[in-house]
Amino acid sequence: MFGAFRPSPISSVGLLWKTPWKLSPTRKANARARLKRVDSVIEAVRASGVQCAALTQALELPKEHEMPPKDKYTVFTPHARGYRKGIHKVPKWTRLTLRTNPRGF
Amino acid sequence: MSSTLIRSSFMNHSRAFCLKRQISTSRVASLEAGPSSSSTSAPKTHYKITLQRSAIALPSRVKATLESLGIHRRLQTVYHEHNPINAGKILRVKELVTVENVSADEVRTKTEQRRERRPSRGFVVKGSKLSQEAL
Repeated sequence: MFGAFRPSPISSVGLLWKTPWKLSPTRKANARARLKRVDSVIEAVRASGVQCAALTQALELPKEHEMPPKDKYTVFTPHARGYRKGIHKVPKWTRLTLRTNPRGF
Repeated sequence: MSSTLIRSSFMNHSRAFCLKRQISTSRVASLEAGPSSSSTSAPKTHYKITLQRSAIALPSRVKATLESLGIHRRLQTVYHEHNPINAGKILRVKELVTVENVSADEVRTKTEQRRERRPSRGFVVKGSKLSQEAL
């Protein structure tokens, strides 16, 4: 009815927002494709031969094939058991760079 | 008398219109011939930036970066020189754009891109009976 919300009896809250706790294989594939696209942008800027601080930082980011699946599909959170949550729970995650997490988590 | 004057002015207008179209198709032909021959050998001096994802609901500095690149809508293509400033701008919006390195003769302005999108007319106006009569 209202986008991600599902209707339920008005006597019990009325609206329910359900999100699966992990990504489906399709969403994972699309996330990998987006990571590869950003890799190609960084590679194009590197191939242009220009030097700048932003490029030095971008080259320190891991590439898609170097990332463990845990980093591709989950993100650090201090609040949950295991200190990880699904990356899809981050707003605008498809348009943000979320490749690195604190060391050890 | 007045009717012939009106008719001649109409014919002049239509002939000028046909000539304009002729010029545009020939320019398109020259443009199409250019890049395919020199793309491999010429040095790459420009970024070809195309916006794939919008910046709606992203921080204002990201939107400001796209504005400074001259991008106003999704799938718009823009050409910028290789320099650290443009590289930094691209890297700030790297999640939203695709980038290709191109040579200087592949750079197109907005009008030129628009003209290239037009399909060919399939014919060329060689002349009209009125131009033959004038001779």
